[in-house]
Amino acid sequence: MAGQHLRFHGLFQKYFIVLFLAVVIPLATNGVSEAWFGYRDQRTRLEQLLGVEARSAGAKIQGFVDGITDQLGWLVQLPWTGEPDERRRIDALRLLRQVPAIVSLTLIDGNGRERLYVSRIGLNRNESRVDRSADVAAAGARSAGLWYSKVSYYRDSEPYMTIAMAGNRPSVGLVVAEVNLKLIWDVIAAIRIGQTGHAFVLDELGRLVAHPDISLVLRGADESTLAPFREIREAVRRAGTDLGTSRSAGGIAVAAAAAPVTGPDWTVVVEQPLSEAFRSIYAALWRTGGLLLAGAAFAGLLAYVLAGRMTKPIHLLEKGTERVGAGQFGHRIDIRTGDELQRLAESFNAMAAGLEVSQERQERIAKLKRFLAPQVAELVDRTGDDDVLEGRRAEVVTVFCDLRGFTAFSAKATPEEVMRVLSEYYDGLGRIITRYAATLTSFSGDGLMLLINAPVSVAEPALRAVDLAVEMQVSVQKLIIGWQERGNRIGFGVGLAMGPATVGRIGYESRFDYTAIGSVVNLAARLCASASDREILADATVAEAVKDKRQVHPIGMRLIKGYDEEFLVYRVVFAERPEVS
Amino acid sequence: MRRRDALAWLGSAAAWALPARAQSPAMPIIGYLAPESPGPFDSRLKAFRQGLADAGYVEGRNVAVEYRWAEGRYDRLPALAADLASRQVAVLVASGGAPAALAAKSATKTITIVFEMGGDPVALGVVDSLSRPGGNLTGVSSLSVEVSRKRLEFMHDLRPAASSFAVAVNPTSPTSGSQVRNLQTAAEALGIRLHVMNASTAGEFEAMFLAATREQAGGLVFTSDPYFAFRSTQLADLCFRYSMPAVTQSRDFPTAGGLMSYGGDFAQSHRRAGSYAAQVLNGEKPSDLPVQLVTKVELAINLKTAAALSIAIPPSLISGADTVIE
Repeated sequence: MAGQHLRFHGLFQKYFIVLFLAVVIPLATNGVSEAWFGYRDQRTRLEQLLGVEARSAGAKIQGFVDGITDQLGWLVQLPWTGEPDERRRIDALRLLRQVPAIVSLTLIDGNGRERLYVSRIGLNRNESRVDRSADVAAAGARSAGLWYSKVSYYRDSEPYMTIAMAGNRPSVGLVVAEVNLKLIWDVIAAIRIGQTGHAFVLDELGRLVAHPDISLVLRGADESTLAPFREIREAVRRAGTDLGTSRSAGGIAVAAAAAPVTGPDWTVVVEQPLSEAFRSIYAALWRTGGLLLAGAAFAGLLAYVLAGRMTKPIHLLEKGTERVGAGQFGHRIDIRTGDELQRLAESFNAMAAGLEVSQERQERIAKLKRFLAPQVAELVDRTGDDDVLEGRRAEVVTVFCDLRGFTAFSAKATPEEVMRVLSEYYDGLGRIITRYAATLTSFSGDGLMLLINAPVSVAEPALRAVDLAVEMQVSVQKLIIGWQERGNRIGFGVGLAMGPATVGRIGYESRFDYTAIGSVVNLAARLCASASDREILADATVAEAVKDKRQVHPIGMRLIKGYDEEFLVYRVVFAERPEVS
Repeated sequence: MRRRDALAWLGSAAAWALPARAQSPAMPIIGYLAPESPGPFDSRLKAFRQGLADAGYVEGRNVAVEYRWAEGRYDRLPALAADLASRQVAVLVASGGAPAALAAKSATKTITIVFEMGGDPVALGVVDSLSRPGGNLTGVSSLSVEVSRKRLEFMHDLRPAASSFAVAVNPTSPTSGSQVRNLQTAAEALGIRLHVMNASTAGEFEAMFLAATREQAGGLVFTSDPYFAFRSTQLADLCFRYSMPAVTQSRDFPTAGGLMSYGGDFAQSHRRAGSYAAQVLNGEKPSDLPVQLVTKVELAINLKTAAALSIAIPPSLISGADTVIE
């Protein structure tokens, strides 16, 4: 639980955030910058495109106006005479038929006299000779050659304009044409900007001259109708070389561009809804957004997996440490990342293996110590070779000892007393056995068996065994004094024999002992059995070996149980008091 | 859980969609008021439907049209207009002249009326101004009334020697007074005399022609009036029988064998009326739709009739004619 907690709020989280950001930040930066530059490019492209559209629309409107003036040119080529000019009358009537936008034509001669007036609506006049030289249109044409009036609204609704044109010399006179601008509708309605964009025409005063929706034009000089159109023109003017954006009459955001119509001094404005103009960039933005989202999701997944892979070995190491700490030295960490973490895991495993070996050794030593003297056990362990414990034949001294009258004592004494006696007994003997480096092969109840010269050979085993026996006897006799004070009648006897025996380990797996098999063992056991309290009995081999150094007295031939012949048994002489020895 | 949600959502969506389809509003209805019978109106209706189609409306598919024909009895127009108004049509189209427009105007103050007429709607009191019609009316004027003096001029061009001309007037027409005044002014300018002859029913046509012949009129000039315009064939026959050169407002007249016509292009005016009706169906207010004047006034001449009448058409007239029937 704590590990889990650590995993999700510790390294994992850090790794996850770092990895995730490492992918997402460049991705987002790239996406946003691409979108921004794409938007700029598209804006520039749109500005150019709309500029072209505006010029094209301007050219069409210009064409409409120029078409009229071109036709008018035919009427001011020949000089007037004093006579009525029937030819010219027919030309004028044909021109009315040819150019539907012209509502009426007035022909004025070089003297400023009206010679002909033809109209679609009003009555024609022929040779009225009215002085028209003071008319604004006539004066304008005379000074400029070609003159355009401002747009006027017939009955506040229909847009009209007067065009006056003078010939290249005064005698040919001039022509004044009234033009119904509603007919530009055919031109303006045919102009399409993109799919839903359109064009409109404003005069210099910002009044609507032409628009695909004719009803807007027919409202005349209506300020509320005109305001949005003027606003668009202003926006284009303000924008300069940049893309002009504004809101159309319908309240839709539009991109716009403008082109001039020379002559009448009009402006053609083309507009296209921004939603349409920027459709491709909007699509690109959506695409970028989608990719960004997908990228972020992928980065999240990647970061999750990577963070998981990075923290997992650390987690494994953590777990391993815990388990080894808990004593499971056999635990191994399996990390194959091929990097420092794997090296760390390998050295961790090596450490655990070292600890395991060390623990095994400790255990083995503890096991050896059960029957070997600690220093011998240490030696065996250090050499790492327990061949010494393998079975073989050796010349050994076997020592047996036990308490006399112990069975009777244990039958009547309390268990606490029995255990206390045994504890003091073994405590005393144990120290001596350790000091003499004797091998304790077995003990049961109050009796025990020792081996000298196996598994490790010693110099003068018989002597060592005799000294050992003496010391044991002295030590136990001291204890016996205390026990007898408590009313326990217990004695202690020792028997020892020397001879060849088979020594080695016997037992199974974790339960094995080191022991000796041979007649020498039986002999020592029998000698011990026949020894009385305060007595150490030895066979002839032992006595022979120590006769020069210790006092041994033959006590006569004895028949030993299990043997056919009698043996000469010796008694080791020792001082009753320890300070004597 | 997810799937059950999705199914529930689908179910509710279907439940929403089905009644929506069932409730989809019935096709909007256009009330169409005309002073004549369907026969002479055929070409006008075609133009009107073209105007509707320009805005995406097709009769029988997404719009229905209720027709009311006065069959030439103009006194029936108010009752027919009232009938259409009571049916709560989406838009009332009063076509074929001022009488229909005026009848429609008095029939309803709420339903939008789109008129088609030859006269000046302001002068006739139908709307307040051309650019801002106001009220519930808007429409198209074909300028035919305004150009009746041009008819006299053309006739004068044809028969320059004639000193007097007969003028046919329908006294029941709301525009008759102004037209006669205009013609008198023009006659003074041209230096000719006029014989004003009244005819308000087909039965009076014959007498009118007799009188014109008796007065030795150089020709017969018809004032703009739907009653005359829709009887072109009958008038053409009479002209032929009485060898009387005549000019009317409608192109149908020379087509039927009459000599000449000069007037607003009815195909254009009816088409515009159709597109205005469509715009009203789209929710536009009549006050935002200025009254339109047709841009095209056309001259049609039948040269065969001229030859039969032994009239030489001067080149100035032929060169200015939009339609010449040979």
